[in-house]
Amino acid sequence: MTDPQISGLMSGLQLELKKTFSSKRLHRFSLDVKFSLPPGVTVIFGPSGSGKTTILQCLAGLTTPDEGAISVGSEVLFDSRRNINLPPQQRRVGYVFQDLALFPHMTAADNVAFGIRSNGDQRTRLVRDILERFHITHLSGHRPNEISGGQRQRVALARALVTNPRLLLLDEPFSALDDDLKLAIIGDLKQWLAQNSIPVLLVTHDRSEASLLGERMLLMKDGSVVGQ
Amino acid sequence: MNWQAFALTARLATLTALILTIIGVPVALWITFSQRRWKFLLEAVLGLPLILPPTVLGLYLLIAFGNGTVLGRWFERLTGGTLAFTFSGLVVSSVLYSMPFAVQPMVAGFRGVDRRLIDAARTLGAERWKVYSQIVLPLAWPGLLTGVMLSFAHTVGEFGVVLMVGGNIPGATRTLSIDIYDQVQALDYAAANQTALVLLLFSYTLLCVVYGLNRRTALLEPR
Repeated sequence: MTDPQISGLMSGLQLELKKTFSSKRLHRFSLDVKFSLPPGVTVIFGPSGSGKTTILQCLAGLTTPDEGAISVGSEVLFDSRRNINLPPQQRRVGYVFQDLALFPHMTAADNVAFGIRSNGDQRTRLVRDILERFHITHLSGHRPNEISGGQRQRVALARALVTNPRLLLLDEPFSALDDDLKLAIIGDLKQWLAQNSIPVLLVTHDRSEASLLGERMLLMKDGSVVGQ
Repeated sequence: MNWQAFALTARLATLTALILTIIGVPVALWITFSQRRWKFLLEAVLGLPLILPPTVLGLYLLIAFGNGTVLGRWFERLTGGTLAFTFSGLVVSSVLYSMPFAVQPMVAGFRGVDRRLIDAARTLGAERWKVYSQIVLPLAWPGLLTGVMLSFAHTVGEFGVVLMVGGNIPGATRTLSIDIYDQVQALDYAAANQTALVLLLFSYTLLCVVYGLNRRTALLEPR
């Protein structure tokens, strides 16, 4: 294992971005944030409409910031000055969406296997290991509409983590679950993180969830970070 | 029942549906996912057969097929024949005439695919082709199937364009709908009635399958 402090410098997230939205219906909204994070779980907490999800979208490459730079460790994902903008499929950023976005026509195992690049035995082994780790082996042949909400969360997490991402984004994935279930799932996630030291950004607007899950917290309001 | 006309109609509709599957899917994908501002212009052209009188389309096709145009001369040089009043001409006309019936349900099918799923696939490393083949196409298949079946059914029922472009040549261009017209002209109402009833039952059965399929997939959605 690498010394956590060194690996923190090597694999931490640096982010600086600006993006302005204006439309006729909504008032003008500007996002202007700058922060850097070590590996481990950081909670972004703030009211809805404060720009939390937009940050995640910029990190994943699903939205392009007007200007700024994003890097994880030495890898530059976006830099407006140097004209770098990696597409989402090249960023290796795991993203668990608010509604999970599991593929409804695939089994749990196929959902998990979707992002794996290797084939054959190694693919099978990776799927088996991650299903075991998140206690969902018995669900591997079931489709998302045949399993419970908590089980779906586990499948979504497993699907994102099996690709070995350099950064993990969680957009209120636990908001529909009770506290016990939330803690059980986050416990499994933290076990995985103990062996894979990457930054995790978890978005929530629920104060109790924020204090329950995070090691660090960023407070957001109206498009800016107002506290740590 | 005129079995020659029946076989000809079945062959025409099958070929048309097949060609429209091959052309329709990429066209519908482009209409759904392209960001081009001017794409509405192409959409409008593709939708023209929905509102244009078949005789108008037929007239222009007939002119285009003649040896007064580049297309007509090119085809004649290539094959030694002309497209007008031939089965090949009917196939080309049917593909154009039934295009919106194939493309519009396909576009609806593609638009119905949750964008979140496409985003999720991309963050999982999927390139465009993988997103289309493993996420978009499988989830949009009721729309694809509807498009193929409607283009088949619409070709079976076409009359005006066939009459303008194909005329009424037994074994080459006389389809079932033309046959009915012939029978009525000959005052043979019994025969016309029989053919019409077959077409009516066929159309109803096909639509039942289309709506039944769409109902079944709606039940597959996650709770």
